Amino acid sequence: MIQRVNPNLKKDLLKLGVKDWNECFHCGNCTAICQLTEEDSLNPRKVFRQAQLGLKTSLQANISPWMCYYCGECSDTCPRDANPGELMMSLRRYLTSIYDWTGLSRLFYTNKFMEFAAILGLATIVILLFAIWGPPLDPTLTSEGGVKINSFAPIKWIELGDWSMAVVVAALLISNILNMFYKVIIKPGVKIPLSVYATELWKLPAHFATQAKFRKCDTKGKYYWGAHWMMMTGYTIMFILIVVFLPEFQVEEIYDWWHWQRLLGYYSTFGLLFGLIYVIIGRIKQNNQIFKFSHLSDWLFVIMLFMTTVSGIMLHLFRINGMPYATYYTYIAHIAILIPMICIEVPFSKWSHLAYRPFAIYFASLKKAASEKQYKTGLAAEIA
Amino acid sequence: MEEIRIGVYICWCGTNIAKMVDVEDVARELSEMPDVVIAKDYKYMCSDPGQDLIIKDIKKHNLNRIVVSACSPRIHELTFRRTLENAGLNPYMFQMANIREQVSWVHDDRIKATKKAKALVAAAINRIKWHESLDKRTVSINPSTLVIGGGIAGITAALELADTGSQVFLVEKERKLGGNMAKIDLTFPYLNSAQQIINEKIDRIEHHPNIRIFRNTVIDEIFGYIGNFNSTIGQNGTEAELKFGNIIVATGLKSFDPSGIKNYGYGKLPDVITSLEFEQMLLNGKILTKEGKEPANVAIIHCVGSRNSDEHEYCSRTCCMSALKYANQLRSAIPEVNIYQAYADMRAFGKGCEELYCSTSRKDVMFLMFDQQKDLPVIMEAKADDSCKMVIEMNEKLSGERIEIPADLVILMVGLEAQDDAKELARSVGISMCGNSFFMEKHPKLDPVATTTSGVYVVGNCQAPKEIPDAISQAKAATARIMATIKQGEVEVEVITAEVNEDICCGCKTCIQVCPYTAITFDENNSVSVVNEAICKGCGTCGSACPTGAIRSRHFTDNQILSQIKGLMSKSLELNEL
Repeated sequence: MIQRVNPNLKKDLLKLGVKDWNECFHCGNCTAICQLTEEDSLNPRKVFRQAQLGLKTSLQANISPWMCYYCGECSDTCPRDANPGELMMSLRRYLTSIYDWTGLSRLFYTNKFMEFAAILGLATIVILLFAIWGPPLDPTLTSEGGVKINSFAPIKWIELGDWSMAVVVAALLISNILNMFYKVIIKPGVKIPLSVYATELWKLPAHFATQAKFRKCDTKGKYYWGAHWMMMTGYTIMFILIVVFLPEFQVEEIYDWWHWQRLLGYYSTFGLLFGLIYVIIGRIKQNNQIFKFSHLSDWLFVIMLFMTTVSGIMLHLFRINGMPYATYYTYIAHIAILIPMICIEVPFSKWSHLAYRPFAIYFASLKKAASEKQYKTGLAAEIA
Repeated sequence: MEEIRIGVYICWCGTNIAKMVDVEDVARELSEMPDVVIAKDYKYMCSDPGQDLIIKDIKKHNLNRIVVSACSPRIHELTFRRTLENAGLNPYMFQMANIREQVSWVHDDRIKATKKAKALVAAAINRIKWHESLDKRTVSINPSTLVIGGGIAGITAALELADTGSQVFLVEKERKLGGNMAKIDLTFPYLNSAQQIINEKIDRIEHHPNIRIFRNTVIDEIFGYIGNFNSTIGQNGTEAELKFGNIIVATGLKSFDPSGIKNYGYGKLPDVITSLEFEQMLLNGKILTKEGKEPANVAIIHCVGSRNSDEHEYCSRTCCMSALKYANQLRSAIPEVNIYQAYADMRAFGKGCEELYCSTSRKDVMFLMFDQQKDLPVIMEAKADDSCKMVIEMNEKLSGERIEIPADLVILMVGLEAQDDAKELARSVGISMCGNSFFMEKHPKLDPVATTTSGVYVVGNCQAPKEIPDAISQAKAATARIMATIKQGEVEVEVITAEVNEDICCGCKTCIQVCPYTAITFDENNSVSVVNEAICKGCGTCGSACPTGAIRSRHFTDNQILSQIKGLMSKSLELNEL
């Protein structure tokens, strides 16, 4: 296939955070030093070249950016200070905007005004919904001295909201992943036997849960994997609690501290706080390559998650300490931050990596297994 | 005839020789050869005490021939010849036997190596018996100089020489002076105007009282030798007889004609032009396609005619930087233009050039790498509905992808190659050519300005493609060399030359055909060959070709060589018996 070079892609990618375009002279140091380099699935130098030449088709079929966890070794040791690590980060933004068929991702990544408008708009809608509905602000407390939260926000309505949000977000993510599948597997004409889809499927949940590959990036006293894993598990547990187990989670009783519901909640909160503080300090100090450059979407992601976590903690404290009004208003604030965070960040922005990364690993292993199988059958045919 | 008294000296060269050759044994055995008065071994013959040893022995034992058995004569022959001179002997009464490079360094059997060393020294002893005294010869120098070629190198050399008061004859093939430099707009890497530099020099040269310029003139034939050349130059129907002592060849190179490379469609696609044609565009101040439109996409293809076994294997050295220069000029002339550089390797060496590469690469220039050896890009017409006039298809090496480049104007960075008449000129001036038709310098490292013909110098591109400052440096270096000979008034010429025994010469002219230096002429009156000793380099080709044995090469006479072989064989036979 022949592709036309495109000098205009550069203009796009500069908006998405690419720092240096011309410095790279293709020595290949980045590919050599990367712990995760794999011939077909992660080759930073080659991605850099495709980006430089504006080879859109190749770039869109390339899953390399997702295979990179940004340890920053490549940028640290780049002899030309070409920042290959940040290029990979920017390409993740680019690919997110390409997979997203609605075009909103691109709009939010490249237009700060629109991103803020969307977040504030959604927050306003949440507040307006509460205002219009006018929930009862019951000042009386339960026998244990807790706030009557379920009379303020009845489980069935909140559950309905949770599930409709989950369905919309999931629909968007799934359709984007199908788009990604088309660009990575179908369009380049990669032939994958159906059996391989099944045999490789276990890698999807396995990598989602463990992020084992990321561990290889923890070299030279870096603990990115640990911080990230705590934040990820904290968030996932909390998400499951509020969506699937809402009746068990949003309760008026004050359980003993060793009750599973409180223990899980505290673990999640701790995991989120630990990871977030690690990231926020890093981004302020810019003490490591991974934190050196912060695109607006990077900051929005951590700030919104931090605000959600803090408002969640306050909500919990106000409720068990019997402070009804504080509890109710904090509840509204918590939801007003949470909804835009999930609706904007997950399908359209940085958070989408929770889906794209495991799927990229899945697609990479599909390709690898298929080519190995093809090689073996070819070999068998040759022998026969 | 005086008695032959030979002194033989075997050098240890520290352990270099002594570890593999039993030097004491060699000295002992050879001291018994006839006519050998004394044979000694010493740690370092070339050291001052070593040389003093020889001088003392010459005086004490009345020696008249010296054999030193040590390293290669390339290293120390001149040293020991001077030693002989200091002792009052003729320097040619000396012979060296190389027992280091030819024995100790290349063998690992000490007994056999010692035998071989004895054979080599015996050969030298046998040979030296036939040595004759040879005298230094000098010729006077005509202070005028002929400069062939009026480009930047020739102009520089002419001005330098003329400024010292010497007469210079400058011969230019074309009507205009300035050569290739007059055809370009800016110089790299600092993007200064070439015209300003060259025009000032042309103006000076045209009004210089010591310079006579011959335009539209080609040199036919040059006679003579260093210090005393002459030539008849025809100009405008009149003929001028010129006499000069030195020659500077500065004929430059011409640009490669890309019509033969099918992939590039030069001559068929109207907007595929050469770098020289682009320079003309720049000089005219307008970058336009044939349709008269400003191009939106300009592609520059490197290495056209260079570094490829089909055209020229060598690198033309200047094109990469010119291509970078064009990117800068294009960017300032048409700020929005897309610039593509299809290159094989970027070779931006030299002062300021890497910096030019770096600064250019930051000006939104797309660099695309192709395989110059076996996979050239292909330029073709674009489809009617395309946004550009042409597309260039290539396999891009760094991405491994097959790509196409849109283009409205394609500049071919044509390489440099020898002038059409380079061969004739080399013949008439008496210099050699390399395989790729550049004029050959005397030594590629140690003497890149002189040639094997004394008094003839090669400067500028005709010696090899180079940048302007290199050409100028070379021109000035040649000038310094010529000034030195002019100041001396005379110059030493080779002593080891051929001589013709006119009684035996049968006039077959075989020697004239084989002489690589055109040093032999034919005397029609006496029907014999005559060697011009000022030109002869003593290579011996004529001597070995002469069917009657009429030509004798001084210092390499038949007797000297035959007895050398005899001496070698006398010891070698023993070697075989082992």
